[in-house]
Amino acid sequence: MKLLQPSSLEELDAAGPGLLLAGGTDVVPILRNKLIDVDTLVDIRAVVPRGVDGTRIGAGTTLAELEVDPQIPAALREACASAASPQLRAMGTIGGNLRQATRCWYWRMHYPCFLHGGDRCYAQTGVHREHSVFANDRTASAHPSDPAAALLALNARVRTNRRELSISELYRLPTNDNRDVVALDYDEVILDLEVPTPEASTYLKAMDRQKYAFALVGVAAARFGTDVRLGLSGVAPIPWALDSAAGLDDATPLPDNAYKIQIARALIERALEAVG
Amino acid sequence: MSDLIVNGQRYALDAQVGRSLASVLREDIGLIGTKIACNEGHCGACTVLLDGVPTLSCITLVHTVGEREVTTIEGLRDHPLVESFVRADALQCGFCTPGQIVSASALVEANPHPSREEVRHAMAGNICRCGAYPKIEEAVLTWQD
Repeated sequence: MKLLQPSSLEELDAAGPGLLLAGGTDVVPILRNKLIDVDTLVDIRAVVPRGVDGTRIGAGTTLAELEVDPQIPAALREACASAASPQLRAMGTIGGNLRQATRCWYWRMHYPCFLHGGDRCYAQTGVHREHSVFANDRTASAHPSDPAAALLALNARVRTNRRELSISELYRLPTNDNRDVVALDYDEVILDLEVPTPEASTYLKAMDRQKYAFALVGVAAARFGTDVRLGLSGVAPIPWALDSAAGLDDATPLPDNAYKIQIARALIERALEAVG
Repeated sequence: MSDLIVNGQRYALDAQVGRSLASVLREDIGLIGTKIACNEGHCGACTVLLDGVPTLSCITLVHTVGEREVTTIEGLRDHPLVESFVRADALQCGFCTPGQIVSASALVEANPHPSREEVRHAMAGNICRCGAYPKIEEAVLTWQD
């Protein structure tokens, strides 16, 4: 295996294709488990901005740095604080967090599933208590990122080395032709995020235990004037936007995960109360 | 060829790309206080400090450490937390203890008088299969006694 360590965007372009590596919290286990087969790693830490400057957040900023930063909206701070473990938050970057792979155990255990390019989703008929209740017809994978739900509610924008896009454009539902859930090129690098400042925001998360677990359901709410935006984690293959709790009526739960709808309804109610 | 700085000492780094910091610490340098349990970044047994920041050495590629200073449990031999873990009887099998003490050392460095909730938040990434959590909490809360 080769490790390239470009020190500028020009050097990055010249480096050619390789698997991007920043905090490594997802990439390294994925490599070790041979879920991705690559011979070149590109360490992007030297080329990705780190730190918070007003409403701009460098994609290399760690979740640990964000969870204590008073400049950023509460929803993002709370989402970062509730994610993973202290060590993983100290290593993991916000840019990498947005591109993490699914936690679906079938995918992680190399089942030839839809997301691996196969023709079926094993969770739909298998063990799916933690899987999706929306858009789960092709894959029932549930998007694991807490910060992504917060950034969706906050209507954040993403700047890469090629373009600028909204957080909702960053994600796509996988199709037969393209099984990715992130709409970026393989070697496209998220440089920073532009995060609008709401009047009030919050992130509430239901877990199997109080610390260090992925969201069963996470609900972010952000109020801009009289407009409240909602972003949910753990309920769809991608971070999921809802206009209101009424949107939950359109859910398509699997036999063993309809409980997520009740949790989402309760968390939305509490989140709306919290942001006034 | 780059170097690796561990507990204030500089070592020549001669390892294949892809190897973890934990494996180099244990197998090449002989610092076996750092434990490898899950080897996939879940359990916290391999926690070391990189420039004072608790880091999972089993999923840190050794070539990405660079000039950051590595502190392992061997570098914390004289830390009062070692004595407080003994005093509080904060272990049974002891396998997770090095990682527990490394995480706790970063917490008390930043916050010498943590509350119980702050201890729980900062120590959540160190799993103890013996379930010694109440005594681990006590050890961290009383580290200066």
